[in-house]
Amino acid sequence: MTNEAARFSSRSFQRFVDENREQLTIYGILLIITVIGTVLSSQFRTSTNFFNVLRQAVALGMVSIGQTFVILSGGIDLSVGAAISLVAVYTANLMKAYPAMTLPIVALMLLLGLAIGLFNGTLITRLKIAPFIATMATGSILQGLVLLNGKRPSGKIAPGWNYFAEGMVGPVPFPVIVFAVLILLAIFVIHRTVLGRYIIATGGSERIARYSAIRTNLVLNAAYIICSLGAVLTGLFITSRMGIGDPQVGGLSYDRFDLDSITAVLVGGTRLGGGKGTVIGTIAGVLIVAVLNNIFNLVGVNTFYQWIVKGIIILLAVAAYSSRKTAE
Amino acid sequence: MNDLVVEMRQITKAFPGVVALDNVDFDCLRGEVHAVVGENGAGKSTLMKILSGVYEPDSGEIRLEGKTVRISSPYVAQQLGISIIYQELNLLPDLNVAENVFLGREPRNYFGFLDVRSLEKQAQGVLRRLGLDIDPRTPLRRLTVAQQQMVEIARALSLNSKIVIMDEPSASLGGQDLERLFEVIAALKKQGVTVIYISHRLAEIFEVADRVTVFKDGKVVHTSPICEIDRPTLVRLMIGRAFSETFPPRGKDFGEVVLSVRNLTSGNVLQDVSLELRRGEIVGVAGLTGSGRTELARCIFGARKIDSGVIQINGRVAQIKSPRDALKYNIGFLTEDRNEEGLVLGLSVRHNAALPSLHQRQRWGIVDLAAEYRTVQSKARDLNIRTPSLNQNVEFLSGGNRQKVVLAKWLITNPDLLIFDEPTRGIDVGAKSEIWYLMRDLAQQGKAILMISSELPEIIGMSDRIIVFHRGRVVGELAGADATEEKVMMLATYGE
Repeated sequence: MTNEAARFSSRSFQRFVDENREQLTIYGILLIITVIGTVLSSQFRTSTNFFNVLRQAVALGMVSIGQTFVILSGGIDLSVGAAISLVAVYTANLMKAYPAMTLPIVALMLLLGLAIGLFNGTLITRLKIAPFIATMATGSILQGLVLLNGKRPSGKIAPGWNYFAEGMVGPVPFPVIVFAVLILLAIFVIHRTVLGRYIIATGGSERIARYSAIRTNLVLNAAYIICSLGAVLTGLFITSRMGIGDPQVGGLSYDRFDLDSITAVLVGGTRLGGGKGTVIGTIAGVLIVAVLNNIFNLVGVNTFYQWIVKGIIILLAVAAYSSRKTAE
Repeated sequence: MNDLVVEMRQITKAFPGVVALDNVDFDCLRGEVHAVVGENGAGKSTLMKILSGVYEPDSGEIRLEGKTVRISSPYVAQQLGISIIYQELNLLPDLNVAENVFLGREPRNYFGFLDVRSLEKQAQGVLRRLGLDIDPRTPLRRLTVAQQQMVEIARALSLNSKIVIMDEPSASLGGQDLERLFEVIAALKKQGVTVIYISHRLAEIFEVADRVTVFKDGKVVHTSPICEIDRPTLVRLMIGRAFSETFPPRGKDFGEVVLSVRNLTSGNVLQDVSLELRRGEIVGVAGLTGSGRTELARCIFGARKIDSGVIQINGRVAQIKSPRDALKYNIGFLTEDRNEEGLVLGLSVRHNAALPSLHQRQRWGIVDLAAEYRTVQSKARDLNIRTPSLNQNVEFLSGGNRQKVVLAKWLITNPDLLIFDEPTRGIDVGAKSEIWYLMRDLAQQGKAILMISSELPEIIGMSDRIIVFHRGRVVGELAGADATEEKVMMLATYGE
């Protein structure tokens, strides 16, 4: 009896491993990197640093969740970096001018995100421009608009707005809670809603989705809007953390949110080209990038090495997934 | 000197589960046009692929001009002077004619650079040998499909090919272009080139061929000079077969008209097509590839633009501009290519089956998973879909089970009209019969079924009525019970 039960449970464990092999691998890699960090730096293993890493992960995480939707739908969004810069500058400057209008300003930024997403979506669905080109051009336009406003960091956030990045709920940073809620929401949208199903089906095959009576243009627009909203949240968060609007924060500085978010999504196992992928995977990708950055900073490695390492990671990740696919 | 250019002796080739060629003998004379005919899957394509180096035979011998050769790759075939021209052209549309003819063999000058003048001159020479009046500097995309085909033939000639295999060269050609093709073939003959001409259109064969070989079920059943055989004999040789498949009994007592198409025209592939389909009826659409069968289905399903004509569904004029509109009129379409147009590979049985009807089981955009499981589960049971679980990735299902998932996907939307395009293509024999019985069951439940098929036994065994297409037009209608393969084939090949 017990023998049989043991065999059964080992079999269901085996099945769990088989079905989630990719994600277990990614989290395994995250674990290995974390262990290496623990060995290398005594500072790394403090609880303060733990929440610090999480807070860093939030900035990249919010936009990466958005990017997951777009890549799942079969596209890519290279405009998020510029969108983040735009939101940072506008938020800080508007808040300086109208310190009492915090919530309306936040709402306005979200509307702006909606407009950017709709713009990208329209270029792609109506004008049939390849997502890569369309969003790159949008990014260029947005970044130009930001820099017209001034090249130096400007503005000042409204009193209290720093809570978004720095507030604490007990021992847990407020942004970590917000991030957790967003993760759950994204998982829910992908797995439980009609929209999520449509996005995955459209990414799997636009034509089959269309032949299955799905309005794929609407679906693609929705994916780009979700992605831009993710970028807006990241922009708001960064502004809250820095207290000022930096016109280069999103795409021109060392943190290239456009490329980093794509790295996180691809490392997380979402297929470039769409149709397959998970938010949980993306979160692992985000944490890998965040933990690596943190370790490099603590150990005092030159920032440029980070670029080299990120480049290698993205190559390894994509090569690992595509070689496995050929093996099948 | 031996006049046999090609001798293929006792060629056998098996694929998993099927013997494609069984001890086949085939030969060609110098400068002859040798027609090869047979139904889909009769083995003619396999033999040509062996001759052109795509496959190697399991056993048998190939001799070219008396010498035994081993044709291990298409490159070797080319070196040996064998060229094949496929139905889909293999040319680069952005290069010009000369560049295409000499692709990969461009003449170089002293410095190793491209010698454009010599390239154009040589191309001009080849074109002239074929009697073609095409400027070698014309970009390929400016040429008609027929002209592009001529360029491909010119390419074969420039390779000094002794044998040119043409796989359905006339499928996309009409009237005058066909005459040009025949002239070019005559020019090739005059230069001592052997042409192997594969075609379904028997009328052409009698016009162009010197000899004919008939394939059936992986064997050669006949070879003779074309003058020693007549058309009905040829048709009989092609299709005479032992019936092994079982079909459900035909339907009777059909209901009201579900689909009515009047004077439908679309591009130049469908002209003035009219037909009617009643509740409970299975209507088979027969015709050669490219005769407009699939395009008709796409028009009805809103996946192809209609230039003129009217489609009525259940007596109402239907404006169907997209598959989404088609769904509103309760139309389901099981496409010919399940993997490209039917199922999203990588997604589960449940996700695929639920796709077109997802909006029916949701509240505030949230999918009702319990209802989804129930619905898909019950259809999977009705259709006897064999899968370890509903969460199984459809990639791991067999062809027959995949087709059932596509069927489930549409049945869940509760359609009145189902269009099956090649319902059993790529499905093994046992599963075929299962699909046929399912289709008949659906008809008996009151659905109207339009079935497009290239397989004559399927058309004849399943259809209550058969509509035959030829070059975009309806050329005949037969009652299923009176139809014979000869009658259908005659209509489909001659259009009379």
